Amino acid sequence: MTMNCCAPIFTAKTKMAEIITDYSLLTIIDRLNIKLGFGDASIEEICRRHNLSTDLFLMICRVYAIDGFVPDISNLTNSDIPKLIGYLQRTHKYWIESFFPNLHTNIHTMLESCDERSAKILNKFYDDYDDEVQKHLDYEENIVFPYIASLGSGDKSNKFRIKDFEENHSNIEEKLHDLKNIVIKYLPENASQQSRINVLNEIFKIENDLNKHSVIENKILIPLVSKYE
Amino acid sequence: MSGKIKITIIEPSEIVTTGLKRLIEQNGSFNVAKTFSTLQEYGGTPNGNPDIIIINPTIVGDSGYSDPRSLLQANDNTAIMAINYGPYDEDAFRSYDGYISIFNTREQIEKRLSAALKNSSEKETYDDSNELSVREREILTAVAKGKTNKEIADEFNISIHTVISHRKNISHKLGINSIAGLTIYAVMNKLLDVEDF
Repeated sequence: MTMNCCAPIFTAKTKMAEIITDYSLLTIIDRLNIKLGFGDASIEEICRRHNLSTDLFLMICRVYAIDGFVPDISNLTNSDIPKLIGYLQRTHKYWIESFFPNLHTNIHTMLESCDERSAKILNKFYDDYDDEVQKHLDYEENIVFPYIASLGSGDKSNKFRIKDFEENHSNIEEKLHDLKNIVIKYLPENASQQSRINVLNEIFKIENDLNKHSVIENKILIPLVSKYE
Repeated sequence: MSGKIKITIIEPSEIVTTGLKRLIEQNGSFNVAKTFSTLQEYGGTPNGNPDIIIINPTIVGDSGYSDPRSLLQANDNTAIMAINYGPYDEDAFRSYDGYISIFNTREQIEKRLSAALKNSSEKETYDDSNELSVREREILTAVAKGKTNKEIADEFNISIHTVISHRKNISHKLGINSIAGLTIYAVMNKLLDVEDF
């Protein structure tokens, strides 16, 4: 095992351009509606222009950049909640409109090259998974986020509590992880190599995103909202 | 266990060793009795009979041993933990009883130390082969058919605890955790007929 001690250290004074070193951090600024072309402006400066708290921005970046990072939400306030929800919603939108349809197409292409037996069961597995993801995201979009918005407007009539979300927050990473191993290890060799690689590339791209997204919901959103209930 | 829990640290960085020792000893039930910066200093056997050895995983990696326990010649009661310096996930530390991340808080470190002690005392022998045993294949088939742990325990006349332990081993060996995923494996490997599904 080689030691990688280079977890990026960024602060409010770091230039925004310097932190865009990989795909995931690029995704973050896009989801926060920060447009590229920021020259040498600092993180602080860009956040101010976008009316976004630097603490929240740095926290999201650190969750993505450092595995096992434990966010400390004590500096966040209720004014960060709408920004955070906006971020989560844009993530969902990308998954629903772009990522999952793409994965779906790639899986179907792969299954066309498989024997009937494997194709039949994998097809069912993926359809069930698709439903599960849809339900998971619908629950957040239709129940959790509107509830949080109602808190912001001072409406106390909603009986839902963020604790209910915490208890019902299912894991949509597990089956994708299983699917990855099935495609790598167990799908018979006769399935087309290129289509398998395409499916795996898609899964690699999203796995980290799903994990970090859960950290943001479980370790930032839930504790932050519960402070204001 | 009488007295304090004795801990040995093997770590080249004095900053890390000193910091870790300080954080750990703020809890009065732990005592970092010995610290070593290299394997040579450690000397090949654990003297002082520590309850926990915390080691920098690169030391284990560089030694050519894959299993820290045999490298350190520690007995089965000693918990062996790694220091996680970076973005490594838990799988990197499977051969340890636990790990401490350098981003952990004092409370998290205490929890992890206690969990590692518990792990090492309850350890089941870790089977490194990925081949499923006959019993594991039987249990996998039952799981894929949708049977509950209780039903499986009754069918094979074993405890639920044993069923859970088999299931953990099966998932680890196959790299598949969900029941739906296990079912796919069972069908592809003809443990289950596609019509049952």
